[in-house]
Amino acid sequence: MTTRRDFIKQMQAASLAAMAASVPTASFLSGCRFEQGTGPRNTATADSVILLWMAGGMAHTETFDPKRFESFEPGMESKRILSTFPSLPTALDGVSFSEGLQAIGEVMDRGTLLRSYRAADLGFILHSRHQYHWHTCYEPPQSVQLPHIGAWIAKELGPINPAIPPFIDIGQRFTVGEAEELKAFHTAGFLGSEYGPFLIPDPSSGLESVRPPAGMTAGRFERRHALYRDLIAASPLGEHGSDYQKESLLRSMEQAYRLLRSPEAQAFNLREEPGERYAAYDAGRFGLGCLLAKRLVQQGARFVSVTTEYEPFLGWDTHENGHTRLVNMKRMIDRPVAQLVRDLDESGHLDRTLIVLASEFSRDMMQEGRPEVKVKDQVDVPNTVEEMKHYGMHRHFTDGCSVLFFGGGVKRGFVYGQTADERPCVTVGDPVYIDQIHQTIYHALGIPPETNYEVEGRPIYTTPEGLGEPVPELLA
Amino acid sequence: MEALTESWVVQFLGRLHPLVVHFPIGLLVAAFFMEWMTLGGKRSGLREGIRWMIGIGAGTAVLASLLGWFLLSTGAYGSDTAVWHQWFGVGTAVLALAVAWLLRRAHRAEHVHSPGQPFRLAVWTHYRIALSVCLIGIGVTGHLGARLTHGADYLSGAFPWNQPESMAGELLAEFRTVDTGAYTPQQLDRINLEVRALFTHRCYKCHSTEKQEGGLILDNEAGVRTGGESGPIFAAGNASGSEIIRRLLLPRDDEDAMPQKAEALSRDEIDLIGLWIDLGAPWAEGDVRIFPEAELALEKPPLPPGNDLDHSIDRFVDAYFEEEGIRWPKPVDDRTFVRRAYLDAIGLLPTPEQVDAFIRDKDRDKREKLVHTLLDQRHPYAQHWLSFWNDLLRNDYSGTGYITGGRKQITDWLYHALLANQSYDDIVRALLSPTEASEGFIRGIQWRGVANNSQRIEMQAAQNISQSLLGVNLKCASCHDSFVSNLTLDEAYGFATVFADTVLEVFRCDQPTGRMSSPAFLYSELGVVEAETVEKRLVQLADIVVQPANGRLYRTISNRLWDRLLGRGIVMPVDEMDRAPWSQELLDWLAADLIDHGTDLQYLIAEIMTSRTYQLPSIPSAEAQDLVAHAYRFRGPVRRRLSAEQLTDALSQTLGPFYRAVAYDPLGEDIEAQWIWHHEQEVDRDVLPKPGKRYFRYAFDLEQGRRNVLDAQALVSVDEAFSLYLNGERVAEGRDWRTVHRIDLAGVLRDGTNLLAVEGENGGSLPNPAGVLFDLRLAFADSARQAIFSNTEWKTTDELSGDAWTNVNYDDSAWQPARAYGRFDRSYWGRLVDFRHNPDREHLPFARASLVTLDPFLKVLGRPTRENVVTRRDDQATLLQALELTNGAFFNEAISAGAARWLGDYGDDPRMLVERLYHSALGRPPSRREMRAATELLGEHPTEEEVQDVLWAVFMLPDFQLIY
Repeated sequence: MTTRRDFIKQMQAASLAAMAASVPTASFLSGCRFEQGTGPRNTATADSVILLWMAGGMAHTETFDPKRFESFEPGMESKRILSTFPSLPTALDGVSFSEGLQAIGEVMDRGTLLRSYRAADLGFILHSRHQYHWHTCYEPPQSVQLPHIGAWIAKELGPINPAIPPFIDIGQRFTVGEAEELKAFHTAGFLGSEYGPFLIPDPSSGLESVRPPAGMTAGRFERRHALYRDLIAASPLGEHGSDYQKESLLRSMEQAYRLLRSPEAQAFNLREEPGERYAAYDAGRFGLGCLLAKRLVQQGARFVSVTTEYEPFLGWDTHENGHTRLVNMKRMIDRPVAQLVRDLDESGHLDRTLIVLASEFSRDMMQEGRPEVKVKDQVDVPNTVEEMKHYGMHRHFTDGCSVLFFGGGVKRGFVYGQTADERPCVTVGDPVYIDQIHQTIYHALGIPPETNYEVEGRPIYTTPEGLGEPVPELLA
Repeated sequence: MEALTESWVVQFLGRLHPLVVHFPIGLLVAAFFMEWMTLGGKRSGLREGIRWMIGIGAGTAVLASLLGWFLLSTGAYGSDTAVWHQWFGVGTAVLALAVAWLLRRAHRAEHVHSPGQPFRLAVWTHYRIALSVCLIGIGVTGHLGARLTHGADYLSGAFPWNQPESMAGELLAEFRTVDTGAYTPQQLDRINLEVRALFTHRCYKCHSTEKQEGGLILDNEAGVRTGGESGPIFAAGNASGSEIIRRLLLPRDDEDAMPQKAEALSRDEIDLIGLWIDLGAPWAEGDVRIFPEAELALEKPPLPPGNDLDHSIDRFVDAYFEEEGIRWPKPVDDRTFVRRAYLDAIGLLPTPEQVDAFIRDKDRDKREKLVHTLLDQRHPYAQHWLSFWNDLLRNDYSGTGYITGGRKQITDWLYHALLANQSYDDIVRALLSPTEASEGFIRGIQWRGVANNSQRIEMQAAQNISQSLLGVNLKCASCHDSFVSNLTLDEAYGFATVFADTVLEVFRCDQPTGRMSSPAFLYSELGVVEAETVEKRLVQLADIVVQPANGRLYRTISNRLWDRLLGRGIVMPVDEMDRAPWSQELLDWLAADLIDHGTDLQYLIAEIMTSRTYQLPSIPSAEAQDLVAHAYRFRGPVRRRLSAEQLTDALSQTLGPFYRAVAYDPLGEDIEAQWIWHHEQEVDRDVLPKPGKRYFRYAFDLEQGRRNVLDAQALVSVDEAFSLYLNGERVAEGRDWRTVHRIDLAGVLRDGTNLLAVEGENGGSLPNPAGVLFDLRLAFADSARQAIFSNTEWKTTDELSGDAWTNVNYDDSAWQPARAYGRFDRSYWGRLVDFRHNPDREHLPFARASLVTLDPFLKVLGRPTRENVVTRRDDQATLLQALELTNGAFFNEAISAGAARWLGDYGDDPRMLVERLYHSALGRPPSRREMRAATELLGEHPTEEEVQDVLWAVFMLPDFQLIY
């Protein structure tokens, strides 16, 4: 006997299984979805998202939330050190950034600074696990494979421009340490690989992934495809009836063919950018990633993530030489990020593009984890600093982190939340958690908070249990 | 005739039938009504039109019957309904012809005889009666045809009494016949349970212990009786005065209407709740088993009476077909069968020679023999089925958890279990009560840090065993009482505690409840797990689970194997064994038969593959969800897509090795060499090697005189390019790490000190892994041996000074020790299958995809990451796949390597090239059209690029990528 519930469940299981091909691919090419979306999209203030990922743990006290500056002198007490750079004013009255971020400071009147993000504890620090948590909103391990926030967005909204995949991930290689853990969240999980990230480790060679194979002329590409069509037509199996496996194969091959010969693929070509502008972004791979993100968003990309790249003990993961290495990290991000904001603002895209700059947690000289939940120390910090090597924020700190937002419906020139001025520099008011960040982004995009799919009999929401409210104060 | 029915012309014409039938139906029905209007000699103006309509209607009726005959002859339909439809159709067409003739006769009579004569009236009456009968024929035929296309319950399904809610209605109908006060306690219990089931499905979402909207709790008796903030929800014995009934009956847009977040209850359902209240709201003892549960016990059902079918499976399927009115289609031809059987048994394509030999074979039992021969190929069998088991037991060579030792492989144990065809009960025993080699399964995956309680490793063990081995979902219940099964949180914790060193506190939704759990198996009726230590409990658990009385274990695996070989389980989804099978008898028989044969999995696989059922033509399904739909009827195997591994291996077979290195080589040699490279740092940290040249030196003393050297074979592989020098002489160079160079160095060796030098170059534009792997085996006349291999004793530099660096006497004191990047068999590159000194011994034909570390290519083709149990892969193609197959560098590289080979073999004979390619890839000759299309592109003297394009196009064909 079938109960109604069985029936509904079957339908849901079935649609989940079918999801991977029919609906999204249709929208991928037709782009109809954009016009259709009348209901919830009315509330949307953004169409696109650019996530600028500061991989490895960016210290808030050394970047967007500077505290008292102590210059280096051998023999100084470690616990005295809060910031190793002087603070400099920004375009916003009363708001200072750590030295080296002046360019971003200049465009701060166009964005919102959140200073009270509280990362999860997870019992022990493992960068990739915290990054998994940030990007999926769920703590690993999980009993089903969960989607990256970019995959949720790709699934719910589809591409804006059919020639540009809805979820693009720029800058992360998977040959580094903790690669398996990184791969675990660079996925669409149960949503199906159709919504997975389109990976571009090197922004300079992004074009290669969207045009005919290396060395193949346009003419040959056409001939090859024509032969393919001829052989399909000539095959005696054509009469064996139509099935979804075959149909999905033919359909996706046609889509790939059209995508790869689309002139819009030139959005991936950084060399089309005028020399001057290229130079403005050319501060390494991250900077060029920002340039690529700009071009893609201007051509109708949905979700783009650009990372400074996570590699254990590199980038923002400053287990030692914190001060010295941050000089380089700031140089890497400062001008490109500011230029990205400015360029999108000038081209009019910033209004509908939400830029989010974030990191998995912050750092501190002394405190690992957070004061009330002490986790195991992973970095040795001497009581007194004798060498430059020990000067900087080396431990992992979860209680106060900064997140930047620009465009896409967030306030212009606004600061939310604060952290203590003395160690521990914890969040002292208006704490914001990861599910709120996600729901704020979804809200800006017009994705309803109750969005969920039934997987193996239970609903899985964009954020755990569908909890987490957008932070209304951040929104204009 | 057979040739005719298989012709595409016939198939095409046949498919026009549904289109053409509308003409006679429309025309004849319209003619009938117009004829009606002419009764009594009125509207004679219609006469001419009717003539035309009858004429064309009769003609198209004959045409439609003919086309219908074609359609049926292609075997598209096989039920009794189809036969009835066929004969009614033919009869109706004949009748239509008769009508046309009678009409013609009537018209003639009009001219010959004067009006009003009896004969004239009679001919018109004959004609009109015939037309009416014809119309009935059309109606019946049309209805039967619609049944074929839409299913038997298409129309009747719309009737209110056939709606799915009928359960409440049925109960209600039954209970209403009983006099009030005369209910048996069992009936009262049933009413209560049904009411509680309604609460579960429609009300718990807001009114349960977890979510108490309006203060109302409906998931326990106290809550139901207490009611919510606005008072009790019912007055026992007075349904009409009860708040709940009032609210349920309110219009949907009323503020107080319930339920707000679920579908409204039907009138029957509300009445049932009312009846329960009127009866005084009795409460049934014990747990509510709301959801259907499959029986645990297993009894071997009797074989249905056999006619000409002697295979047991076929007898069950025959009985099923009989009941469903399905005719046995003709089994597939030899070509289709041999490809299917190879891919299913060992995961490889048959070679053209194997196909030909099979087709030529005149043995009546050749199919059965082939199945057994294939399954007897132990390594190929193990290498193919390894993927299925890795998915099921979420075992993989890389993935999360390994980094901090929070995960363990079971590959070696698993491979050998498959190789030896270990019995299933032994396999399960080894998984549940494991040795060190098989403990990885229940140890779960642990990342560094603290996990959510529902994901603690003991709970993972409970969840995975439940899903993989027992086909039941424990994931919901490990957080709270399940909403989709009868499993409770306490049951989940009880099962998890079996694997725990200490007593576990029960956490609901990650919040402590204060309750402590004690170990228990999920199905306590099967036995008790109560020993003190985990180790002893696991032995008890294994005993309980593998006992034949646990039919669930054997039904689950039988269903999985059936699903694997026929594309759709007898129960679907395969992880929900409480669902109804399409044939309980067949499922039970398979499971019981497996037990009767010592739980020999190969026996079961062979049993399925040798059935006529397995040999039926594959059935296409228009949508993936058709396979899980409740209305599914078995008609034959479901069409399948090659798995990532099958596809990749098939490419390896036709193009040359697609992969050269594996993560696990069951047949590999023991080699000590390490991958080494220059030690690269940035600021103060090790980083990935930058592109560019690096230099390596290693000096060694020959332990005996060079005259005593019998053999000096060196193996070398360098990522990415290299030149190898021995004593200043260049002895090898290469540009691809996947190609293992095998060099005889005997002639270049010197007495005393020898100097190996390597110039290595890392390619690419970004830093990326680079390494040198070198292994030299020296054999001396007195059978002494000396081994020289790459390790950290080698010296490296990134800046060369002087040019004699390949000589022994060069001063390398400024060089630094090399950095090791892992042993030969445990490194980023995987284990090169050709990196072996003795290639004559048994070894892998090529790196089978099942043994390869997950890479982006396999991943995009659907090989899961195995962080979780995966029991069915998505077989729909996706755009990302298509992109990878269209412009992916990795795939195109394999194509171009393959093209060079094909061009070398058949470059001077393009026709032969196409002929061989079709045989190799598709197991059949190309048709004339296919040959023409391919050779047109190739021309008389094909270039390598043209060959690449033909190869590519053939590999992208559904013919290649699907199993028909």
